[in-house]
Amino acid sequence: MKKKLSLSIITPEKAALTDMEVDLVVIPALQGELGVLPGHISTVAQLKEGLLRYKAGKEHGAFSVLGGFAEINKNNVLVLAEAAELSREIDEERARQAYRKAKDALNVKGDDLDLDSAQAALKRAAVRLKIAEYRRKHK
Amino acid sequence: MASIRDIRKHIGSVKSIKQITHAMKMVAAARIKRAQSGIMSARPFSDEMDSLIGDLYREMEEEDFMASPAYKLFEEKPVSGAVCLVLVTADKGLCGSFNTNLLKAALAWLKEYRGKKIYALAVGRKGRDLLKRLKGLNLELYFEMVNIFPKADYAKAEIIGEKVLELFLGRDIERVTLIYNEFKSMLTQRIVIGDLLPLKSRALVSGTAVKCGDFNFEPSKTKLLEALLPRQLKAQLYRVLLESQAAELAARMNAMESASKNAEELIEGLTLKMNKTRQAMITTELSEIVGGAEALGG
Repeated sequence: MKKKLSLSIITPEKAALTDMEVDLVVIPALQGELGVLPGHISTVAQLKEGLLRYKAGKEHGAFSVLGGFAEINKNNVLVLAEAAELSREIDEERARQAYRKAKDALNVKGDDLDLDSAQAALKRAAVRLKIAEYRRKHK
Repeated sequence: MASIRDIRKHIGSVKSIKQITHAMKMVAAARIKRAQSGIMSARPFSDEMDSLIGDLYREMEEEDFMASPAYKLFEEKPVSGAVCLVLVTADKGLCGSFNTNLLKAALAWLKEYRGKKIYALAVGRKGRDLLKRLKGLNLELYFEMVNIFPKADYAKAEIIGEKVLELFLGRDIERVTLIYNEFKSMLTQRIVIGDLLPLKSRALVSGTAVKCGDFNFEPSKTKLLEALLPRQLKAQLYRVLLESQAAELAARMNAMESASKNAEELIEGLTLKMNKTRQAMITTELSEIVGGAEALGG
């Protein structure tokens, strides 16, 4: 029987993927992409934002991940990312709008209450935009 | 004695209050489910993070560890330094003793460190208001974040985490203490006073289960640890926000439930009183009529 990798992607807000059987994972590591096949040496790697691709049988998939770590241990690939989304779920136009809105909210000097949430929204939108741009480039 | 009209008015106002408390209870009950599942889904991340850090510790040599910049987060600083308080409260009231107990605990803590320079980070309006009101303490409100509940997310925890790290690494701070309400069950919340920084010394952290196998590290172990620890801190803060959020909702639900119950009882009592008054009035009128008829006929 052919060996498989078990891939889990976990973010603080949810488990994006748990124990999925895959044949190949390509991780966007800090020092370049890292391809993982079954039988890979145990590794801990830091991630940068980018596309995490996997292949399971004939099925391909891609997740956008933002910063974090990956641990490869005995065919278990564990990705701890600050944010992860199925790549095709991201809507670039919406992200751009959200980015602009958050930026406007920051410029308008409201009370400090709105400032925090605007800052958070800005951060999220910036990440989405980055990922969307990345996706466009690497299509 | 109150007239029937007065009592009726009273009943009406109690009824509308009951409607409000009932609605608030329902809202809290609906939200608490989401808050709870939020805690659940945040758990695997922090667990895995801990085990990853544990693996890293075991692979690391003592000297490497001491030399790494991450060591700063572990270092015990002289007792003379300032202290920092992270106080997580609710934004709104009407949740029973949730805030009161929290603020009491915070005041006791502040009293203990009276005389030292205190930096405070307030999350939630109630805590911020308290810290702003205080006088006679050497206290600086370093950062505040209000109106985040019930929509706390990781990005907010990140902002707080960055502020805490900035403060801890930039100033001469002995320790960072965290005060918040933990969600124990739907009925109880527990106040937790715990130290966030400095991190516990290495000996205490390293777990028991040793994973075999040599790990490859990319980049180096020290760099990894340096990047991991702030994230762990943020994950911890995120969990705290979620706990506090769920606890607040649970407290509000209970408070509003008993408020509705009390209103119900009040209405019952008032209705009884109203009926009695009416009865008494009818009786008096009757006896007056009978008395009048007798006087005429006699």
